[in-house]
Amino acid sequence: MSGLRPFALHRPDTLDEAIDLLEQHGDEAMIYAGGTELLILLKAGLVRPRRLVDVKRLPRLREVAEAGDDLVIGATVAHRDVERSAAVRRRCPLVAEVARHVANVRVRNVGTVGGNLAFADPHSDLATLFLIFDATVELRGRSGARALALGDFIQGPYETARADGQILTAVRLHAWPAGTAGAYVKYGVYERPTLGVAAALFPAASGRPAELRLAAGCIGPRPQRLGRTEAAARGLDPRTIGERADELAALAAVEVDPMSDLHGSAEYKREMTRVFVRRALAVAAGRAQGAEAHARYAHTVVV
Amino acid sequence: MPDTHTPSSSRIACTVNGGPVALDVAPHALLLDVLRDRLDLKGAKRSCDLQVCGACTVLVDGAPVSACTYLAVEADGRDVLTVEGLGVPGALHPLQAAFVEHGALQCGFCTAGMLLTAKALLDEEPDPTPEQVAHFLRGSLCRCTGYKKIVEAILSCATTPSGAPR
Amino acid sequence: MRVTREVVVTAAPTALWALLWDVPRMVACVPGCTEAREVEAQRRYAARMRQKVGPIALSVPLEVDILEAEPPRRIALRARGRDPVIGAEISMRVTLVCEPRDGGTALSIDADGQVLGKLGGLGHGVIQRKAEEAVDEFAARIASAASG
Repeated sequence: MSGLRPFALHRPDTLDEAIDLLEQHGDEAMIYAGGTELLILLKAGLVRPRRLVDVKRLPRLREVAEAGDDLVIGATVAHRDVERSAAVRRRCPLVAEVARHVANVRVRNVGTVGGNLAFADPHSDLATLFLIFDATVELRGRSGARALALGDFIQGPYETARADGQILTAVRLHAWPAGTAGAYVKYGVYERPTLGVAAALFPAASGRPAELRLAAGCIGPRPQRLGRTEAAARGLDPRTIGERADELAALAAVEVDPMSDLHGSAEYKREMTRVFVRRALAVAAGRAQGAEAHARYAHTVVV
Repeated sequence: MPDTHTPSSSRIACTVNGGPVALDVAPHALLLDVLRDRLDLKGAKRSCDLQVCGACTVLVDGAPVSACTYLAVEADGRDVLTVEGLGVPGALHPLQAAFVEHGALQCGFCTAGMLLTAKALLDEEPDPTPEQVAHFLRGSLCRCTGYKKIVEAILSCATTPSGAPR
Repeated sequence: MRVTREVVVTAAPTALWALLWDVPRMVACVPGCTEAREVEAQRRYAARMRQKVGPIALSVPLEVDILEAEPPRRIALRARGRDPVIGAEISMRVTLVCEPRDGGTALSIDADGQVLGKLGGLGHGVIQRKAEEAVDEFAARIASAASG
């Protein structure tokens, strides 16, 4: 496999330049950031771009910014930088913690958040987690900028709503209200996770009942917000939701849309959803009471 | 129309193991190939070629990267450290001495990557817990030792805040 | 992968059969298939199939062989080809059956095959889903072409 087929490397300094290059070269060009997914495809000969457009010099894409209640993570921010960012730790601490567990330390140093979302590998921790932060992605092209809900952006395995000539420039997360207890539980023995469950328990506030946010990812063609399960949990006190965990986990197992692959059959993944939603709820409910869960599960990372 | 951004090769200037290196590399050249074939630094190994095993690990500006999946042009302006820059026979790095003493290598194929990853860990966290060591080494695979002696060797190089060995 | 579907069209069985037995026209209803042509009447046909899975583009010159034909109700064919650029090999056996139903025709489709090579490494789940989408689209196009 070693060695890559030759390509020309463009390193634009501005977004307009980058977009112009993509428009000009069409199918011949692919966007390059960390390259942790792209270079693997190139080595396998599955894609053969004649040109790469390196977006790492574009200034805004490297930044993490706080904007009102939102956290905006630029597309070329590496996972390692998300982990260490003071702004991420302030606004969305669970995101910093999960970023620490993406892939391995080498991939975290080089791979980027934007690259992860734009590649849309079904086995993605961040894509799963971001769904419960009401994430939107910003796309820029010649016709301007548009924002798209992450759930609409990711359309299937390796397929997104990004059109040719568009660049994913940032992902925007909506910070949780104070007192929210969250958890991300990921399971697997391979390089990529077999299952990821993201759960958040929002406390009741004036005019708003307590709320569960729940997403399951890595098991199907794309990560999924489990709206029906969330609806069944609406109004339940986060501190006692553990009493209903079995029932909610069973609902989640019915709601997911798993896909068989080398990580396991669809039936297995459905059952694992039930098991891990229950565990994620237990962790989150414990945190809602100020208690940290110490249970350990085989091949599982509890964040 | 000449395209100033796309020469068929570019000159990179970096430091490798503390010494300056200037080379013309093609955009598609991988760092691992440049290190092994042009600079004769054979410590980093091509193993999985998919960045999942860690045998090709080198440090770029102190951070572990998979040289098999890293373009050489990205090293421009940066410091690269390979295992050859860690220590030499007669003047081993403490991690290398510890690996030998603890029996943390057998065939040696993963060792260069393990050492550099361990160095990066200790530079960031001089007194790591076993969990922190395991976390950092995740994705560095060894088929021989069962990892226990590797972790012990690394922990034996931990230092307390005062700089004394733990 | 294996995909089975049944679709009911308003056209009469003879009209639907006429479409299916016009193999180049039938193959052209497969999403991504173009340049469908006859090589040997009622025996062998050819087409080019283009598909995309994310950033990966597939372009396969297909050889379509008629294995069994029982006019006017059943046709079994095999489609094979290899994309030399990405080294993907596709091999499919497709059986199409027309039965009168409710004043129209029920068309049942049974597609059974495999994708070999690096593309197959994307995972059975992705390939299966792509195949299901393709068969659903094919059924919709056949229904529309037969009724129109």
